[in-house]
Amino acid sequence: MRPERRAHALRWHDKTRATQMEFGLWQVWEAGWVTAILRGASITILVGLVSMAAGLVIGIVCGLIKWARIFPLSLLVDAYTSLVRGVPELLIIYLLFFSSVEFVTKVVTAFGYAGVAESGYAFVIAVIAIGAISGAYSTEVVRGALGAIPNGHIEAARALGLSGGRIFRRIIAPQMLRIAVPGINNVWQTTIKDTALVSVVGLQELMRISFIGANSTRHPFIFYLIAAVVYLAITLVSQAGFDGIERLLRVRTRK
Amino acid sequence: MMDLIQLAVPVLLKGLWVTAALTFVSVLIGFNLGLGLALMRLSSNRFLSGFAKYYSNVFRGTPLLVQIFLFYYGLGQLSSIKDNAALWWLISDGARCAVLALALNTAAYTSEILRGGLMSVPVGLVEAAQACGMSRMLRFRRIEFPLAIRQALPAYGNELILVVKGTSLASTITVLEITGYAKRLMSQTFAIFEIFAIAGVLYLVINLLLIAIIRAIERFLMRHEASSGRDLAAPQPNRSTVGS
Amino acid sequence: MKLKVLTLLACLAGSMGSALAAEGELSIGTEGAYPPWSMSDASGNVTGFDADVGALLCTKLAVTCHFVVQAFDGLIPALKAKRFDVIISGMSITADRKKEINFSVGYAELANMFVAAKGSDLAAITDVDTLLKSLDGKKVGVQAGTTHAHFLEKRAPNADLKTYDTLDQMQIDLASGRIDTAFADQSALQDFLDKPDGKNFQLVGVEIKSTYDPTLGEGIGVGIAQDNTELKAKIDKALCELIADGSVGKASEKWFKTDISRACK
Repeated sequence: MRPERRAHALRWHDKTRATQMEFGLWQVWEAGWVTAILRGASITILVGLVSMAAGLVIGIVCGLIKWARIFPLSLLVDAYTSLVRGVPELLIIYLLFFSSVEFVTKVVTAFGYAGVAESGYAFVIAVIAIGAISGAYSTEVVRGALGAIPNGHIEAARALGLSGGRIFRRIIAPQMLRIAVPGINNVWQTTIKDTALVSVVGLQELMRISFIGANSTRHPFIFYLIAAVVYLAITLVSQAGFDGIERLLRVRTRK
Repeated sequence: MMDLIQLAVPVLLKGLWVTAALTFVSVLIGFNLGLGLALMRLSSNRFLSGFAKYYSNVFRGTPLLVQIFLFYYGLGQLSSIKDNAALWWLISDGARCAVLALALNTAAYTSEILRGGLMSVPVGLVEAAQACGMSRMLRFRRIEFPLAIRQALPAYGNELILVVKGTSLASTITVLEITGYAKRLMSQTFAIFEIFAIAGVLYLVINLLLIAIIRAIERFLMRHEASSGRDLAAPQPNRSTVGS
Repeated sequence: MKLKVLTLLACLAGSMGSALAAEGELSIGTEGAYPPWSMSDASGNVTGFDADVGALLCTKLAVTCHFVVQAFDGLIPALKAKRFDVIISGMSITADRKKEINFSVGYAELANMFVAAKGSDLAAITDVDTLLKSLDGKKVGVQAGTTHAHFLEKRAPNADLKTYDTLDQMQIDLASGRIDTAFADQSALQDFLDKPDGKNFQLVGVEIKSTYDPTLGEGIGVGIAQDNTELKAKIDKALCELIADGSVGKASEKWFKTDISRACK
């Protein structure tokens, strides 16, 4: 049945070529684009997760610096966050990609990954760029959450003679994380959408695959529509996940 | 280096006007659409509020780049669009297409911000206005809207900055704004860092200017209060969550 | 802070000079979206004239080929960063590019042409100067970072230039009528004309040779990092042999239906 159906599809395709409307999901499926798109989507999610993790680390460090007003460092953090939040993400990605290529190649080589540098390279650049952007937004979230912790809690812990590390682990970190969840959700949504921008520098993620498919088949509408649907699915599913986490934390605090 | 600045700055300044124009028109359209959507969302009509909710989720749940490509390359492919003179006028030009995508995108975020603002208006005030015999329209104009705007302004300021940054994506559909010119200059001079640094400074200048303007408006709206020290730059990224 | 650590690592890594990044392997940067020079599919395989030239070169040098696909305007920065050993991507040898990287001897040369809708005013023009003048206010498509873009920026300053990252995007806009004309090399335009999208278009009968303006370069060459003179010597020698024995010509016949190889001096 398959070959027949295909022949039919092709004939139909040729006949109505002028309208270009007939190129539909079936053709996308047959040409193997579906697997390519799914592969792209998994890379998108991977870049998103790794960048988000990197961003959270940056965010916690920089957020603490900003909150505690550690003098010379806090100035640097201010410069970093206002720069990233004031300059378009696309420009940051171009800059990192075109100018720091040398530097990244060296880092990758230093770790002994010269061989995989090619496939890993675009990924590394993507994570550095998106991680830096995500980190700037996370910094503000973390600082906001730290600011929301009642001062009395920390003072009480100090009065009890707890060490600095313990105060952070037992008092600050748990409360901060809870307060920061909605903010982190925001940053995550922004981060996953920002990964689309690294397609411009050639990482084969969801947007790039759609771009290649759109260009080579000359049917951009269907490919970008599919891309939009997949992104929407990713954001909606992660939104549901975060809603779950928030509910969980709320229940636990009530006990 | 001086040569480079002399070469790059006039070119990038040309781009600056395009960036400013894209932002201005998109915001103008996007704000009104967003206000409409916020009102729809709060209406008791389930169809209207449902539509506004889905609209907002779809536009906030997908990357702006995908939206821009879908409008420019995707819609540009459809013969039904090409055969319609008005639609083709809109879609055929990169700048107009970018404005369309940016306006529809910012409308979604704006609707969430304004909805938050409208919901924060104390019910008592609206009831009082009702009691005074104000019509629905008058009530909205005199009571609800001004209060909502005041509440929403800091978040809306952040949204404006995101629109400015979003205009850089227009460069991917042949529009020569700051980023577009920067890329062209880069391929001519290979002075990658310098060119992008100058472009970055231009964006920072626009955004700082915007922040200053928003602060001034905020001070003006809050002039009845002694202290109006709300920090515009500090709040969390306002791209609020998908879903409700 | 993180940056500092990375810088330190980068310094430690240093440069460990050798002609090739990895022994026994020649990594080649190419665009992968410029038919029939260099095309790549969804799984990353590269085909086309440049892929063949690369393969011939690798056989001659007794190394294995490894292609890295990369947007055209990012090729030179990436080569300078040693992301690959050479660029083989239909890249014209120009004075501006020579400031950044080195080139092998030219291995091919093609005429540069415009394409326009059949029967349009532009399509009827037969000399270069009239053509360039009539571009004023017209929407002209060109690929970003190419000699074609630089040529038009210089010689047709009043044209409304639309630059594209890939030729495909330019062709989509040409077919949809968003741009009036496009400038590229003859082979790329022929590729468009052979597709269903190109059926209402024709080449404008003006061939612009690189002798007309040095911005258009001195033929197509292999890009090599400036400090890698050892590799340049090897590649020059190999290319000259491959051109002399007709191998490059044969590959050219396969992809262009004509011999575009350039005599080696």
